[in-house]
Amino acid sequence: MSTTTLDRRSIRNSVGPGPAFHRVLNSEFIKFRTLMSTLILLASTAIVMVGFAALAAWGTGSFAEQAARDPEAAAAIAAQGGDLAVSIPTSGISFAQLILGSLGVLLMSSEFTTGMARSTFAAVPKRLSPFLAKLIVVVVSAFLLTAVSTYIAGLVSLPIVDSYDLKLDLGSSQSIKLLLVNSIYVAAVAAIGMALGTIVRNSAGGIMSLVGIFFVLPIAFQLIPGDFFKEASKYLPTSTLSPLTAVEHVPDTLEAWQAALVLGAWVVVPVALAMILLKKRDV
Amino acid sequence: MIEAKGLTKVYGEKTAVGGVSFTVQAGRVTGFLGPNGAGKSTTMRMIMGLDSPTAGSVTVNGEPFAQHKAPLREIGALLDAKAVHTSRTAYNHLLAMAATHSIPTSRVREVIEMTGLSDVAKKKVKGFSLGMGQRLGIAAALLGDPQTIILDEPVNGLDPEGVVWVRNLVKYLASEGRTVFLSSHLMSEMALTADHLIVIGRGKIIADAPIAEIITGKGQARTRVRTDQPERLMQLLAGTGVSVEVHERELLEVSGLDPRGIARTALENQVMVYELTPLQASLEEAYMELTKDEVEYHSHITTGASVPAQAGGK
Repeated sequence: MSTTTLDRRSIRNSVGPGPAFHRVLNSEFIKFRTLMSTLILLASTAIVMVGFAALAAWGTGSFAEQAARDPEAAAAIAAQGGDLAVSIPTSGISFAQLILGSLGVLLMSSEFTTGMARSTFAAVPKRLSPFLAKLIVVVVSAFLLTAVSTYIAGLVSLPIVDSYDLKLDLGSSQSIKLLLVNSIYVAAVAAIGMALGTIVRNSAGGIMSLVGIFFVLPIAFQLIPGDFFKEASKYLPTSTLSPLTAVEHVPDTLEAWQAALVLGAWVVVPVALAMILLKKRDV
Repeated sequence: MIEAKGLTKVYGEKTAVGGVSFTVQAGRVTGFLGPNGAGKSTTMRMIMGLDSPTAGSVTVNGEPFAQHKAPLREIGALLDAKAVHTSRTAYNHLLAMAATHSIPTSRVREVIEMTGLSDVAKKKVKGFSLGMGQRLGIAAALLGDPQTIILDEPVNGLDPEGVVWVRNLVKYLASEGRTVFLSSHLMSEMALTADHLIVIGRGKIIADAPIAEIITGKGQARTRVRTDQPERLMQLLAGTGVSVEVHERELLEVSGLDPRGIARTALENQVMVYELTPLQASLEEAYMELTKDEVEYHSHITTGASVPAQAGGK
């Protein structure tokens, strides 16, 4: 409590290191790992991914068992390329996207709702550096978590699938493609979430916008009659996942490269807008 | 040193800060005093680059805040005790801030100890009292051992022991040659802490002077006199430049004559005086006088209210 412990360094020749990007990145990572709520969201994503994969393995297995006795179902399976089991590990992906997208929103909106932003941007007044550092932390962790959870989900599903005499090869090129594309997709959703959190600066508003884009719009576009909405729904971010993971091009969807561009635009536009607003607005 | 030139902040139609210019010198505690809503916090946020001025500019140690290579090591600020994610522990909050400037963990522990937070450092900020939050804010401000320290209402919510601690801390920091800029709406606290005072009201600087000057600048010295012959003494004292107010039956307030003069007159005329107290205009009075036209939110006595809107100073 005494003031005499204060360093007598008031006259200094050099001031000392400033907020270089790697230091800001380290700071953002400390902020990321020291929030219990973040860790809970990450853990629940993993649990949901693994749990849904196990359920899907069980469901797919019993369906295949029935199909063995039912020629119609067998034909339906054959029409899908015959590989039922390959998408089992990523069954929980839409929940992962919701949770990690919300995490992206929260990590930025909470800066503003708690007032932490004043500390953050007083320490690093060039505001884009903490924004980009946080974006990297969010995107990388969303990617890694989805990839690892998908792989674990695959390992957990293996014995279940096995018991139904179905084959699931986690090392097959389609399995690896599904794992990578889904992980990139969830990372993209997390980035969009963080941009939304920066733009609206409000947790509830940010998560509602995210849910609007990823859950409400796809359904609404299907329900509204007319060719325009049918065509427009191809350009929703949720519609990019199936062209990107399809074995062959599915009619009435985008080509894989188009889907990649559309998803890229869905990330770049809100992120750029968020950066402009962050730079311009008062904290 | 902090230098503001024509600093202006306009929100829509409302001018929060209207073209203020001032200099905060190193080596002394400069108080920033003004009623609520006068523009103190807005000015401080503009100094820290959090709000951009509508017009004008402000520099810290010769450069705009955002241009400094190591901002935390130049300027430490407590702008708001709530500038913390409350689900994080105090230690982790400071650690994350320190990481941006490669400030060692030993320094984090040092400021925690210095601000008396050792016992609660590993607890979530959520459970902190306002006073603990202030201490954490001060710890964060001191983290980079900065040359310039800005504290917005640092004694808010502190217990008496904490108030004394802040007072001694800022005086000590100033004595080391640092620039200390401290805002408050508590004039009594300023009178004890600040060397120099900048008074702001409705976004304008009303006074910018050493604290002694602001106090003595207000009117003449007065003396409180108690005597059992008030009428007679009043007659005797009456003269050029002397005015006497009667406050109670045996209590007078004399201005225009010093205590020695009053005592001599009383002695020569055999009037018994049983109290003779020189009165110094308090900073409070000086402040009220300065800001009486500038208060944003006036208190009014509403009909039927039994509580006077302003506590009488007499």
